[in-house]
Amino acid sequence: MSASSDSSTPRGEAWVWFSGLGLIIGLGMVVGLLALVLMNGATVFWAPPVPVAQVDDGRVLIGQLAQRRIRAGSPADQPRFERQYQVGLRELNGNSYLWVDEAKIKGETFPADILGLERVENGPAFVRPQSLRKSDGEVIPVTDPAFEAAFQAEVAAAAAVREKLVEITRHRIGDVNAAMDKARVALRRAEDLKLADEVAALQKEIAGLDGRFAALQDEAKQVVAGGAVASLVSQDAAGREVVVPLTQVIRAWFPNRLGTWGRVKLFGSRLGEFIFDEPREANTEGGLMPAIFGTLVMTVFMSLLVTPFGVITAIYLREYAQQGAGLRIVRISVNNLAGVPSIVFGVFGLGFFVYVLGGSIDQLLFADQLKYNNNTPVFGTGGLLWCSLTLALMTLPVVIVATEEALAAVPRGMREASLATGASKWQTIRDILLPASAPGILTGVILAMARGAGEVAPLMLVGVVKLAPTLPFDGTAPFLHMDRKFMHLGFHVYDLGFQSPDSDAARPMVFATTLLLIVLVVCLNLGAIWIRNRLRARFKGASF
Amino acid sequence: MATSDPKPAASAAPEARFTVSPLTLAVDRWMGRLIRFGGVGVVLAVFGMLAFLIFQVFPLFVGAKVSPASALVVPVDAVAFGEDEYGELPFVVRRDGSILCLRASDGAKVMEWTPSLGARRVTAVRSYPRTGLVFLGLSDGSVQEVRIAYRSTFDDAGRRTVEPVVTALEPVAIGRAGLPCQDVWNAKGPQSRLMLVRQDDAGRPLLTAVRLTERKGLGGRGKVTVSPSFVVAADASSVEQVLLPSTAESMIVVGRSGEVRTYADDGETFSFLQSFIPFKDAADPAVASAGLIFGNVSVVFVDKAGAQQVWSMYPQLQPDGKSLRRWGKIHDGEKLPGAGQGVYAAESNKCYLADAAGRLRLTNMTTGTVRWDGEAPSGTLLQVAFAGNYDRFTALSADGKLHRWSVVDHHPESSWKTFFGKVWYEGATGPAYSWQSSAGSDEFEPKYSLVPLFYGTVKGTFYALLFALPIALTAAVYVSQFLRPEYRQVVKPVMEVMASLPSVVLGFLAGLWLAPLVDPRLVSLFCAIGILAPAALFAGVLWSMLPQPVRRQVRPGMEFLWLLPFLALCVWGAWQAGPAIESLCFTVKDSATGVPIADFREWWRQTTGETYDSRNSLVVGFVMGFAVIPIVFTIAEDALSNVPNALVSGSLALGASRWQTVWSVVVPTAISGIVSAVMIGFGRAIGETMIVVMATGNTAVMDANPFSGMRTLSANIAVELPEAAAGHTHYRALFLGACCLFLLTFVINTLAEVLRQRLRERYKVV
Repeated sequence: MSASSDSSTPRGEAWVWFSGLGLIIGLGMVVGLLALVLMNGATVFWAPPVPVAQVDDGRVLIGQLAQRRIRAGSPADQPRFERQYQVGLRELNGNSYLWVDEAKIKGETFPADILGLERVENGPAFVRPQSLRKSDGEVIPVTDPAFEAAFQAEVAAAAAVREKLVEITRHRIGDVNAAMDKARVALRRAEDLKLADEVAALQKEIAGLDGRFAALQDEAKQVVAGGAVASLVSQDAAGREVVVPLTQVIRAWFPNRLGTWGRVKLFGSRLGEFIFDEPREANTEGGLMPAIFGTLVMTVFMSLLVTPFGVITAIYLREYAQQGAGLRIVRISVNNLAGVPSIVFGVFGLGFFVYVLGGSIDQLLFADQLKYNNNTPVFGTGGLLWCSLTLALMTLPVVIVATEEALAAVPRGMREASLATGASKWQTIRDILLPASAPGILTGVILAMARGAGEVAPLMLVGVVKLAPTLPFDGTAPFLHMDRKFMHLGFHVYDLGFQSPDSDAARPMVFATTLLLIVLVVCLNLGAIWIRNRLRARFKGASF
Repeated sequence: MATSDPKPAASAAPEARFTVSPLTLAVDRWMGRLIRFGGVGVVLAVFGMLAFLIFQVFPLFVGAKVSPASALVVPVDAVAFGEDEYGELPFVVRRDGSILCLRASDGAKVMEWTPSLGARRVTAVRSYPRTGLVFLGLSDGSVQEVRIAYRSTFDDAGRRTVEPVVTALEPVAIGRAGLPCQDVWNAKGPQSRLMLVRQDDAGRPLLTAVRLTERKGLGGRGKVTVSPSFVVAADASSVEQVLLPSTAESMIVVGRSGEVRTYADDGETFSFLQSFIPFKDAADPAVASAGLIFGNVSVVFVDKAGAQQVWSMYPQLQPDGKSLRRWGKIHDGEKLPGAGQGVYAAESNKCYLADAAGRLRLTNMTTGTVRWDGEAPSGTLLQVAFAGNYDRFTALSADGKLHRWSVVDHHPESSWKTFFGKVWYEGATGPAYSWQSSAGSDEFEPKYSLVPLFYGTVKGTFYALLFALPIALTAAVYVSQFLRPEYRQVVKPVMEVMASLPSVVLGFLAGLWLAPLVDPRLVSLFCAIGILAPAALFAGVLWSMLPQPVRRQVRPGMEFLWLLPFLALCVWGAWQAGPAIESLCFTVKDSATGVPIADFREWWRQTTGETYDSRNSLVVGFVMGFAVIPIVFTIAEDALSNVPNALVSGSLALGASRWQTVWSVVVPTAISGIVSAVMIGFGRAIGETMIVVMATGNTAVMDANPFSGMRTLSANIAVELPEAAAGHTHYRALFLGACCLFLLTFVINTLAEVLRQRLRERYKVV
């Protein structure tokens, strides 16, 4: 391309500009994607004002604006838009979300009395409150100035009752059930082996557990009976009466009355729920604590497994093995393992770890369990241990390569100086090489963790589930249950995005989870990059 | 050894500070061993992984293991046999209709039963070995049904004893009275049971049938009504063999001259459907034997020369333009080692045993693979039956022996052809590559061709690279050669962040955000993408035409910052212009209303006749770019920026412009590094799983249409492996896919690595 009118223009400058295009697109893609996820993910917890929309056909709806898009089939040159409102009240409306043609919306108003409710069942609700019916029969109309205070007090009281109930039904009854299952398996075994004493003891234990179960159920009933049963009488958009028992209400807010600080507080409370609570409503609401915890535990285990093996292998390859053509082949192979698709590691994990290793462990250690518990495998099925092992194998090359590079970067002089002062080879490695290459190793481990935390495909095969009833870590011995299946942020995204029956309801949750996952992975990567840059700076001056 | 001084000249003990503690040496030794052991172990484990995958796949390519298990001596006049589910108590039916039950383990007689028929004699015998039903054709044209049931009882110790119980039903008159039965058949249709006899009517074959309908009562057995007998296949001039499918829906009559006539159940009688001569072109067109394959829609014919043909019912275009299910040849089997004498089908898969004069051959009908070839026993085989679970087969020979073979064949349907070849499956209209691993019915034949998956993989990879390579490579050139170093320190980490984006996130955004978003604005998107390159080039040309004082305002290496707003403007303009272009170029008549609309999707469907899916290859290609761009960029950038400085300086000193230097010196020097980067990007795109799972429809189709989805090897594994039963063919076929992926990426990456090593050598020399 010669485009020089001015003879001093260097040739090919236009192509230089052209090559800048790739950089711009690449950067644009990253920044755009991060911005997209950040915007969609962070606004999930924000409570915007909720309009009352008048539609042409006489309908009135109260709902939070969820999306806006081009109507299907509208001509491309004159696109018509439609809006999606989250109207809530699934039990009345059939669906929480509603698409409305924008051209048919006559107007939107933002009355101050709209109340948003987050409920235990059937999703959220947007209503106009009428009165509060207290448990003692007292009725406070919404016009009463004491209404709001009384309402919030009753919501708090109901929440306390609900928490007590959850404590009883989920945790304590759950413990009894787990003990019962264990005792039943033991009983079957004892009966089969004709151990009369044990049978009697176990039968007694089961009877005792039955008693405890009944007692807990009674307790739960008492809590329900004794607790507040105040309810909110309100109207929906169409004027139908909606009575919501306050035990159903998790959170209530007046979206059109809140100030900025109120919205921030609500945002914080929702974010807190998202991070620290358990999921509700087929994972589309509530929190992500089990998935966060599962991802964390799995990643930590993976790095505990991969670090020693990776470092030992790298030391072997760099310091002990005979350098030559054979080693070069080994090194290339190990490097190339990093390029093998992750799903292949999943296949290997399923075939070898789960079926071969896990199956053998079950045969050796849990033969009784298999025999008396309907062949339910313990380790012969996907679980935390196998996921960690599979990902450890997958990330092994990352750690090996990083460690090797770090070892190679240690100046030769340091090594020789150490040996010259009489240190043994191991002492040199321990006291000189490892400390000097520690940042490099750490970089590798962090990169491995980032890769492990974001990986989903192999985990789908070796033990991640959409909803795990128990955490892999709890109060019953041996506290850490490596055989349990667990939840994972990445799989959560896949499952919610693609397997959820109500994709509209799942959408905000997926974006929030995506944001969390990206923040986690990007932070790990930036950490690794930061450490690496420091490492470079350190060794710049260290060349002998 | 720690205390001994190496120098013998020194007589005194060395000073304490020179002695090495034995502990230090021991630790050193042990750590050395540990590291060696660990290092070698890990390296071996890595190779063990490939070995394990191959080991899992290996059984797919092993033939059947068939070994003779036992031979029981039975009366020489035995003509048919049957056995229980476990083969413990086989029985034989003698020519006179008496039944003898033996214990398989020692040959002891367990039970004997003789028919009491008065003046009538037994002239024909047919036994259905799996069901324990024996039909005795009598001399007066009637048929007696005998049922052999096995009753299990358990004694106190839990031992099982089995005893056969014989129930003989009243004879049913079927054939023309007075003529002896020559043969008899029975089959159970959906509504009624069909019984068929063959008689000889003065030299002409006579086939007569009745239907038996059992009306179930409220309690106990229902009443059986027998329909009036009706003649079937009266138009057949000769009857050598009759094949009656177990569902009684059709009937196949093989004539003496080799003509095969097929009939279909029309509710009343059997109407003629089609006739054909399988071995029309052979010297002797006669059919030596024929056998129905499991599933009842395919027949294997063998002739006296040992040629085999498979005919099947599949939809065929008739002269009148209608497509009807008719018989047609789907395979030519491998020639048998001798004259064909019998074809016996397995009861749970598409394998059959051909008896070829002294040799037995087990063949898979669909793929034509010979599973096993072995010696036949001495006597002529009268009847052969496979066990229901395909672990043995039993044959009665004319010299009074009941032979049994055990069969070990876990993957009868698999062969190289199954996975990589074109296979004509039953019911299909022609040979095809198809992957379809499961369906509702038991008789469904799973199809495991990996070819559509390879095709999908290559297609997805192609679109990903088409999008990613230009961006990654131009970015690498710009960043390594032109960009100011302080920006480089920002750009490289950003690209690394891009590489670390979890693919599940990319897949989710592609499938749920991007696909619906671009769907209505496709033309806009094309315009926006299409405008980028010309706009950038135009900006460059424009800039080089500016006078030098203006140009000096842009410092070298900062061009991209100036380019950014200009490009943003162009893209915005193109996006806005999209609808206008769409209505200008892509207006078609709406197929539903007839109103002209501007819709690219409809235009595409009507103009090309291809499908349009909103989750299509372009979306996948775009999003996979996020995974491929950073990896290609990083490696290419490394290769480019490591080009020895002397070369660059030399070129610039000779007066070349910076672009000329890059284009004629830097890029040619680093070309093997760039190729290596492309290959590694290719490897990454091949194995990408979650993006493809989430952003395509995952249908295993083979078309190059950019607006349709695909199913890749990796997505296939992710979708199907959780449901595949361990050890089954499906499971191993998925392992085979994984193995292919492993080898493919491993080979590509190794080549790339070798290229890079060569590049490094070259830089060293320079």
